[in-house]
Amino acid sequence: MLNAMTPPLQALAVSRLAGFPTFLRANGFAVGGGDAVQVLRTAERVGVLDPQVLRISLQALLCGRADEWRRFPELFDAWFLPPNRWQRPQRRDAERGLSGEASGGAHDGSGERDDDSARPRRTASRDARLSSTDFRALTEREHALEIEALMRRFARQLKPIRLRRQRHARAGRQLDLPTTIRRSVASGGTPFRLAWRDRRRVRPRLVLLIDVSRSMALYSFFYLRLARALSAEWADVASFIFHTGITAVSQALHDPDPWRAQERLHLMAQGFGGGTRIGECLARFNREHAPRLVHARTAIVVMSDGYDTGDPQLLSQALAQLKRRARRIVWLNPLANQASYAPLSQGMQAALPHLDLLAPGGDLASIRAVLPQLIDALH
Amino acid sequence: MTSARAIELAALQQDLARAGYIAEPPLAAALLLMQDLQRPLLLEGDAGVGKTEVAKVLAEIRQTRLIRLQCYEGLDAHAAMYEWNYQRQLLAIKLLEHDERGLQQKEQDIFSERYLLKRPLLEAITGEQAPVLLIDEIDRADEAFEAYLLELLSDFQLSIPELGTVRATQRPWVVITSNGTRELSDALRRRCLYQYIDYPDYDKELAIVRKKAPEVALALAQQIVAFVQGVRRIELQKRPGIAETLDWTAALLRLDISRIDVDGAERILDTLSALIKTRDDRAAFPREVVARLAAAC
Repeated sequence: MLNAMTPPLQALAVSRLAGFPTFLRANGFAVGGGDAVQVLRTAERVGVLDPQVLRISLQALLCGRADEWRRFPELFDAWFLPPNRWQRPQRRDAERGLSGEASGGAHDGSGERDDDSARPRRTASRDARLSSTDFRALTEREHALEIEALMRRFARQLKPIRLRRQRHARAGRQLDLPTTIRRSVASGGTPFRLAWRDRRRVRPRLVLLIDVSRSMALYSFFYLRLARALSAEWADVASFIFHTGITAVSQALHDPDPWRAQERLHLMAQGFGGGTRIGECLARFNREHAPRLVHARTAIVVMSDGYDTGDPQLLSQALAQLKRRARRIVWLNPLANQASYAPLSQGMQAALPHLDLLAPGGDLASIRAVLPQLIDALH
Repeated sequence: MTSARAIELAALQQDLARAGYIAEPPLAAALLLMQDLQRPLLLEGDAGVGKTEVAKVLAEIRQTRLIRLQCYEGLDAHAAMYEWNYQRQLLAIKLLEHDERGLQQKEQDIFSERYLLKRPLLEAITGEQAPVLLIDEIDRADEAFEAYLLELLSDFQLSIPELGTVRATQRPWVVITSNGTRELSDALRRRCLYQYIDYPDYDKELAIVRKKAPEVALALAQQIVAFVQGVRRIELQKRPGIAETLDWTAALLRLDISRIDVDGAERILDTLSALIKTRDDRAAFPREVVARLAAAC
């Protein structure tokens, strides 16, 4: 029903409305160009005279997830209401700058790849050397790209977990009629050989908890790359970053543009203060995420150096609680690659009794040694 | 300034209230848009905030049928769309063995609609009047099913190889709910209108309690809501939803508790099982905490 009271939309209002999805996209919303049409259609139906009604209508139209839902009112006001605050548009410019940089970065990458083809082919021994180099030492951009390629290959080599919804089985609880009938063709339509169905088990899941505090700065970059490679190959990987707070990053890691993914992660980590409170973060993970994520076929991988400025008691409790839910808890500590390392820090002392394994995680080779076994344990 | 849309909104809110659902303006606006743009509505929020209820009440005020598809892990097309009734088909084959008709006719007979079991999705698009289709807890089904659903939601048609394509006679009102056990795909989110439903604030929850349990005195209802709001502020594994509030209200009524105060903390403790659902959370509620919350009411 068209609203008779609504005056025809003025050209100015139209351009303002049509520009809104672009503004939202600049602010990280998952909206596309086609949404401008929907916005105009909605505005036509709803009318533009009552900003309140327009806002809640567009909110339903343009938001796709809870965090967008929460940020929307502020962004709406910034775009449509008289200039009270201009922080948002500025930030938009800043983002445009970033994306410009990002595309520049991508060009650099492809340029290097071109160079690569001119060089002698990389040898296996070179790969091996690279994968056993401590992540800290890989400071050059070129190394970073190569190790990423290695990680991707490693992720692809992991035994894939394929599951059918329902398995065919020799004996089961439910008759598989389509198959039974297909088999009955051989016996002239009389179903002599019965086929059965059995329910499948829960799909295994991997949860990565990555410490991104300052002491981990040299490693967390690589761990995030690894998380990205793993979640690209595997359906069920959930990744989180933490130091004083904990945030889910699976979504950001799925961003098809690696540079933008990195920026998004960077923005997410920014809100955190100094220090590392592992116990508190894990407790929050238990409270907010574990109930829906962690089941009996879940392996949890904590990637941290164990320097905890919080209460070790809390860490111990949180891990004990997590242990009750999960199949395996593995702690990868990059410092453990050093021969002289002993888990003496308060945090590690508190954590140790609850871990299935404390393993070195300073280079790709040591991660390679741990992950396949972990995945086997889930089968 | 009140626009015509604002009046429409208020009218819808009243209809919803009459049907027993207290809706805030954003939800009402989304329901109106659903009609305008013919899009599904995706509802997210914690368990127990009344997501499923939206579909039920929508069916009530539109005076139409509610068709519910409960998702679960391993849900497949057969359970959601259609399935041939194999048992009857087998029987029919046996019965038709001595029939004189030609092979083709027999085959047509066996794959006719008589042997088709309509599951919720097929049922939703073949009815006379557009029903409300509730796809509950879609996050429990896997990605493959989600992709399957996208096809239905964009074209509103299903193809059955033996019968041909079934086009929707009416576009159903689709309401999808998710508890967030899995991240939904962007493709699905983009096709839907979105609504995040939070725990209700004091006023809304009071209105709900008054609506659903009119026999409770106002003073007690206010205390109940204040207490539950206090409980939600405590860090718990599972915060109580509206359903829990109503259960607890019923429990208090059953035990003839007419006031929440410090002296009655013992008796309140006995009823807390209606509100607190895990052992760890229960441990967070010793007598002192309950007394403190009761005193604040």
